[in-house]
Amino acid sequence: MGEVELRNVSYSFGDRMALEDVSFELDSPFFCAVMGPNGAGKSTLLKLMLGLLKPQKGMIRIMGYDVPREANRVRRLIGYIPQVIDIDHRIPMSVEEVVAMAALSRNLPPRIVTGEVRRRVREALELVGLDDPSAQFSELSGGQRQRVLIARALVGEPRMLLLDEPYSMLDFDMKCEIADLLYRLHRDRGIDIFLVAHELSPCIHLEPTVILLNKRVYAIGRAGEVLTLENLRRAYPGLTEIPAGFILGEDHG
Amino acid sequence: MGDAWMPLDLLLLIYLSAAANGLLIGAISLPLIISRSILFALTMTHSILGGAILGVYLNEVLGISLPVPVTAFLMALILSILVAELSERIFSEDVSIALVVALATTITVVFSYLLAKASSTGLSLAWVYVAGTSAVATLGDLQRTLTGLVITAPLMHLISGEIKYIAFDRDGAEAMGINTRLYRYLFFALGSLAASILSMSIGVLATHVLLAIPGAIAVRFFKRRLFAASYLSATSLSLGGYALAQVMNIPPSGGIGILSAIAVIGMVVARES
Repeated sequence: MGEVELRNVSYSFGDRMALEDVSFELDSPFFCAVMGPNGAGKSTLLKLMLGLLKPQKGMIRIMGYDVPREANRVRRLIGYIPQVIDIDHRIPMSVEEVVAMAALSRNLPPRIVTGEVRRRVREALELVGLDDPSAQFSELSGGQRQRVLIARALVGEPRMLLLDEPYSMLDFDMKCEIADLLYRLHRDRGIDIFLVAHELSPCIHLEPTVILLNKRVYAIGRAGEVLTLENLRRAYPGLTEIPAGFILGEDHG
Repeated sequence: MGDAWMPLDLLLLIYLSAAANGLLIGAISLPLIISRSILFALTMTHSILGGAILGVYLNEVLGISLPVPVTAFLMALILSILVAELSERIFSEDVSIALVVALATTITVVFSYLLAKASSTGLSLAWVYVAGTSAVATLGDLQRTLTGLVITAPLMHLISGEIKYIAFDRDGAEAMGINTRLYRYLFFALGSLAASILSMSIGVLATHVLLAIPGAIAVRFFKRRLFAASYLSATSLSLGGYALAQVMNIPPSGGIGILSAIAVIGMVVARES
């Protein structure tokens, strides 16, 4: 049994099928990127893995837990980093508030930021290269916001990170910085990485596992084996050649 | 606001009620603003009006002895939850709010009509919820507001961090194990309770205006101690509004409305400059 196991998972929003008969298995340690066109069901896949959505068909097991039934246990082992654009930047939140809530979420209310929580927040921020917990989240750059969200995930000491489009809306250098950070977390701390992206980053010395998804899994394996024109044509209808952005990450920002 | 020369104990009671109203508003206004839920306040106040008129109808016409504040509170709670469920399952939040406000308004119009046909005094009783009571505060008014304050303020402080976080990143909050639905419903319940109590003294219209402004002032002008700023501005607006109403010989809701309008203009000017 793999660390992550999906078998025949299907999910639809009303009449619109988001995922159909998705099956794959990943053994730890893994650094896996799910790639696919817009509307391929990539974010839905992450939400199913977190237990935020329940599969209408099939089975999802993560670290031995049946996700739909034991979502709370699974969430304690996973750090989730949503798309930055899904966050409401108009809400006045300091960096410390953003990260501390993850440290406090396992406690019952009132969730008071103690000295110990502040220390953990500082440590998590240091890990991602940030040092000002009093800064306002809304005033940070895109890359810094992404780092804060990664710090928030790390403060719960997860075994796995699930990231939704961590490179989107970032310039090339920033994408490399985030990719490098994720690679270091994987290499030095043994954290499994499962991310959804439109492109692979060329900036890390690691060939990730790639899942090619467009409602169903078209290919899974090492990046060099999966990202062939034949596979991409099946997953991306209308594609005639491999765009540079797939590897170089230039389709955003 | 009636006679400018009032016995001192009545005057004291009025201003104590005004201060208590201000504190109650301060407790709920900031969470409404920082969670960007002020449109829910629109749902709540419309629902309170519908619930109040339904309550008066039940009492006056059908003879069902049900306290009007209870029907107002329940209607606000039910329709707030309806907005939450609609926006979770079917529509966007603004469409859900528009639909539920339309439903609340329909209830208001239909039962106002039926009330006007059946009872000559019923509609004037219901009008209290639109414009608020006259200047005369009773010990019962003060007790009611203080009870609402004792229930609402501590719980609102307890959950405001989570409410803000859910507005900031709902999926993230849920992924952390925070029960977002429970928190939102608790928030609506406390908001509905506070708004229905306030509507009895200052009316639905002034309640709606006043729910937005103290929180907005706190967020706009203060970096820290936002709750203190919200309490201070709400209490100032409420006390000032009562005083202005006394001077101008209008209902308290009128005085509060005028001061609130001045506060809004002040915020716009401050923003532009």
